[in-house]
Amino acid sequence: MKHTEKELQSLKEEVREMWQLVLSQLEKCKQSYLTDDLEIAREVASREKRVNTFELKIESDCENYIALYTPVAVDLRLVLSMIKICSTLERIGDFAEGIARHVIADDCTPLLQLIKDDLQVETMFDTVIAMLSDSYAALESENTKLSGRILQKDEEVDTLYREAIRKLAEYVEKNPSHAPCVLETLLVLRKVERIGDHCSNIVEEIVFYIDAKILKHRKSKE
Amino acid sequence: MMMIQANNVDFYYGEFHALKGINMDIEPNTVTAFIGPSGCGKSTFLRLFNRMNDLIPGTKLQGECIVNGTNIYRKGINVDDLRKEVGMVFQKPNPFPKTIFENVAYGLRVNGINDSKVIKERVEQSLMGAALWEEVKDKLKKSAFELSGGQQQRLCIARALAIQPSVLLMDEPASALDPISTSKVEELIHELKNDYTIVIVTHNMQQAARVSDKTGFFMLGELVEYSDTKKMFFNPEKEQTQNYITGRFG
Amino acid sequence: MGKKTDQQIAFWVFRILGLIVVAILCWILGFIVWNGIGVISWEFLTTAPTDGMTGGGIFPAIVGTFYLIIGSMIVAFPLGVMSAIYTTEYAGNGKTVRFIRIMTNNLSGIPSIIFGLFGMSLFVNTLGWGDSIIAGSFTLGLLVLPLVIRTTEEALKAIPDSFRTGSLALGATKLQTIKRVILPMAFPNIITGLILSIGRVSGETAPILFTVAAYFLPKLPTGIFDQVMALPYHLYVISTSGIDLNATRPMAYGTALVLIAIVLIMNLLASFLRRYFGKKVKTN
Repeated sequence: MKHTEKELQSLKEEVREMWQLVLSQLEKCKQSYLTDDLEIAREVASREKRVNTFELKIESDCENYIALYTPVAVDLRLVLSMIKICSTLERIGDFAEGIARHVIADDCTPLLQLIKDDLQVETMFDTVIAMLSDSYAALESENTKLSGRILQKDEEVDTLYREAIRKLAEYVEKNPSHAPCVLETLLVLRKVERIGDHCSNIVEEIVFYIDAKILKHRKSKE
Repeated sequence: MMMIQANNVDFYYGEFHALKGINMDIEPNTVTAFIGPSGCGKSTFLRLFNRMNDLIPGTKLQGECIVNGTNIYRKGINVDDLRKEVGMVFQKPNPFPKTIFENVAYGLRVNGINDSKVIKERVEQSLMGAALWEEVKDKLKKSAFELSGGQQQRLCIARALAIQPSVLLMDEPASALDPISTSKVEELIHELKNDYTIVIVTHNMQQAARVSDKTGFFMLGELVEYSDTKKMFFNPEKEQTQNYITGRFG
Repeated sequence: MGKKTDQQIAFWVFRILGLIVVAILCWILGFIVWNGIGVISWEFLTTAPTDGMTGGGIFPAIVGTFYLIIGSMIVAFPLGVMSAIYTTEYAGNGKTVRFIRIMTNNLSGIPSIIFGLFGMSLFVNTLGWGDSIIAGSFTLGLLVLPLVIRTTEEALKAIPDSFRTGSLALGATKLQTIKRVILPMAFPNIITGLILSIGRVSGETAPILFTVAAYFLPKLPTGIFDQVMALPYHLYVISTSGIDLNATRPMAYGTALVLIAIVLIMNLLASFLRRYFGKKVKTN
């Protein structure tokens, strides 16, 4: 393998590691949120620093790769998509940390335990986690066939989110005294929904890298 | 310890002040690239380290050039011995009109090694080191001129490796080669870094970026900037450097 | 008149002039072969002249010319090659070298009869070698020295510096570089110099006039201090001062033919050597 290919491989490897880290952050924040596990929540919060470090490292490696090796064609697309993917992963990491902080800070657990099944919180979490791990698989196998399905899942998350808003509104009408906790819950769900959006951005980047097709902002045209 | 040190080096071709107060330290097992416009003194500076400039009449050196702890311009230095320690590869491949085998063996023979077993071993080793062995192992007795330009250049590298130098100077080693041969030579430079200290002069900035750990930018006989290649190509300190590597120069 | 016609005319002028040169050469050769071939026989080549040069052959003169060629090459070749190596490889471009070069050029401009006189005064008289092969060889050697030096210099200069620097960069000394790289590469061209000087030596009359050549000497030389007959001098003698010029005329043409043949054979041999070494240098 050529020297430049090795560099590219190690860049990809770093992105993979960051991806795994963010995935596990998501898993853990889901777990801590659903079970109100403060221990895990604190772990997520403290590991957020590692995600940030990864982002800085990968960005500077990408910069160096472009500066030193002037990549073209597929290599250029790979490096560009890696830059974007790593900052998106970092955003996802931020959301995971944000959710963990909700767990640490608030005491709305009793309410949540009452309504989480009704709101399908776990399904929402599972869907975005599946999106992230599917897009990882797409990058690994350099196969964009999965992309449609992943984008489909984002729609599902959006639907669940709109549904949840409606249910929360109904709930707060009946129990006005629980309003603060309802809003807290809404903020968390909002974050999960945003994670879904970011995952579809990642998929779009992977398609850009592999097929050089631009999927972004298509919906608005159609 | 530094492999190569230049302390306040001034160099003159007759009246012409070719190098002005150059200071540079080069660590062992690194690749250092010299870049800069034509006539900036980078080749002259490179040739100081195996005293190739001695061949040009009317030159004058001030300051110190230290290779492996020895001031190589000290009185009593044996230049031929120095050149065994500091090998050189030139811009145009210059194999001798001899067989492939004899080209590599040449340096050994002139240095008094006559044991044919030793020579055979070293030739093989050097050709492997230069990533040429597989291509030439069946035609060692053929003339070196039958090889392609890129192969000839790698033969010249093998020839330099045979005498087991610690430093390898390369004066635009790929400028006469096609892109595929160039990338082979560049790959080779990466491999050789493990065993040698390499200094390379190149006109091709991308090449400097691809192969080197540190880069020195020369202009009008001065070392404008000398830093990590990554830094040089991402965030150079001097405006002159920036203008040169972005192509806005001149 | 168009450009094309101009071109055509110029082309034909050059072609005709070139053909004229070849024609003259062929004429001379043809003339000598035509007149000389009649007397060529085994006897002519292997016996000494008899009957006041009107009979017999030219064997002693052939042998003498060969000795002189070999002798003068032994003198001129090492001396010439070594001084050329000095001026091109060692001396740089200083005053000494320029002086040597000017002197070499002057030497080549000196008329050959002066060499003859110089040879007579130095080798024959002062050194007391008498009229002898050695005195003649030295004189002829000096005569062709500038030629050998210049052709060797050209041969050495034709070798790109990259081979020198390449060798020096491998820790070879200057002497090793010259011996192992430069001389083998220059050898074919140095051989060309040798060819030219052999041609020159075998045809010269004036330098051997006073130093070696015998008017008539039927026996072969036994050592380097003996006199010999030589073809050009023999030719001169039988064409100008024979007893019966008409009777010796065919002999003269025969001698001329042999002389030309010797030069031709030498040239062929040398160009064969040149090609042989040329090949060897490339592949060895």
